[in-house]
Amino acid sequence: MRYYTYFPGCSMESTGLPVQLSVNEVCKSLGIELKELEDWTCCGCPGAAIDELGAVSIAARNLALAEKTGLDLVAACSCCYRNLLNAHLAVVEDPRMRVKVNEALASANLEYKGGVRVRNIIDVFINDIGLETIASKVQNKLNGLKIACWYGCHQTRPYGPDHFELPRWQDSIVESLGAETVYFPLKAQCCGGMQLVSEERVALKLVYKLLDNATNNGAQCIATTACPLCFTNLDANQGRVNNRFKTKFNVPILAITQIMGVAFGLKPKALGLDKNISSWTRVLAPYLQVLV
Amino acid sequence: MEVPRPVVEIARPRTFVDEVAVEPGGEKINECIQCGVCSGSCTTAEWWEYPPREIIAMIRAGMKKEVLSSTSAFYCVSCYLCTVRCPRNIKPANLIHAVETIAEREGYKPRTRTLPLYRTLRDSIKRGRIWELGMTMRYYLRTNIFSVLKNVPMALALFIHGRFPILPSKRVKGGREVEAIMKKVKAMGGAQ
Repeated sequence: MRYYTYFPGCSMESTGLPVQLSVNEVCKSLGIELKELEDWTCCGCPGAAIDELGAVSIAARNLALAEKTGLDLVAACSCCYRNLLNAHLAVVEDPRMRVKVNEALASANLEYKGGVRVRNIIDVFINDIGLETIASKVQNKLNGLKIACWYGCHQTRPYGPDHFELPRWQDSIVESLGAETVYFPLKAQCCGGMQLVSEERVALKLVYKLLDNATNNGAQCIATTACPLCFTNLDANQGRVNNRFKTKFNVPILAITQIMGVAFGLKPKALGLDKNISSWTRVLAPYLQVLV
Repeated sequence: MEVPRPVVEIARPRTFVDEVAVEPGGEKINECIQCGVCSGSCTTAEWWEYPPREIIAMIRAGMKKEVLSSTSAFYCVSCYLCTVRCPRNIKPANLIHAVETIAEREGYKPRTRTLPLYRTLRDSIKRGRIWELGMTMRYYLRTNIFSVLKNVPMALALFIHGRFPILPSKRVKGGREVEAIMKKVKAMGGAQ
């Protein structure tokens, strides 16, 4: 059993619910105990573009709480991961920022000393658990399933630790489940993020490019990062893309943890598959013992 | 650890480039060599009136009004492709965020809906955790309430699949702490 402090993030409680459910289940079967950070609040990411100090301070509040637990802080949401790590690095590397952030934190009687290791959940799967262990848990080998692995931005950029533009970690996980990964040059491209709300034409075009590129390369489904925003943007917006670009996309979108869960023989409902909007039954039916 | 540079008294009058250079993220603006890798990498470059490289050149030319009232910077989706590729390591994405910060703080009104979205998001943090339905409704009230209609099918699909709770997320104890921190940051005059 390995123990971590877990930072879910706001979206995991609503739009990202299927991802959260699958993360819980998969971690349970891999012997990872995620202890939710007590009294966590927003990571600060939403205001980051117009108020860097504010964003870093809010994130540092969570880091200060995590520091007391003494465990690595794990986030599945890529935005939370980037923002928490960004705040950690700002405090550790920039003495002026450190003073300012701790001045702001003092109003809540907290202090962040810089002692937390912020990690992404894929990093934990690869480097702490290892591909052999993952492969040993597989009950239904996903033989013949062609998957495009999509990483989004913040899981690897700007801080890594996987390759910035052509990451491999999710691909190696999927391959250890017996599935086949397809060539997918846009694997670390952006989905438009929050601009889907404000600038629809910008974000939908990015989503269109991703779906188009994945299907053209023969993918039967897309395994997204465990980020709820990335997952939802692709999962819930294929209808809007089809309306705008006169296309007929119906690509099953599954979080990487959902794919892992299916291969581990876990129940679809426990993995939140019934909450996915894109239809997955056609593609996954051969690999499931029970459908519901 | 990076040693802070000594603050050098500037003999010439303070210009726009100095304002950007004291903003977090804008520190390295004077090290840009105008190679254009940022503009070439930019995911949304086609929408920018002035692409990132040009924005940097304009800041250095002191074109404050043109930069801050342009919608360009607000098309940044924070994908950080420019940042990982920049040969001078000036972090263009953070620099663009610094531009957005100054535009917001000084009350410029570029014709973009992204700025009201960021404001709404920042205000929603005060509760501690973000309640997505409430946040989006507040945003549409702030911008154009009719544009909400376009998104009804998606919202409905999310709702049917149990992913769009109608009730606000429970108010956490930390909400009050977050409010205090935000207040303090504001009193410190933002980032300067």
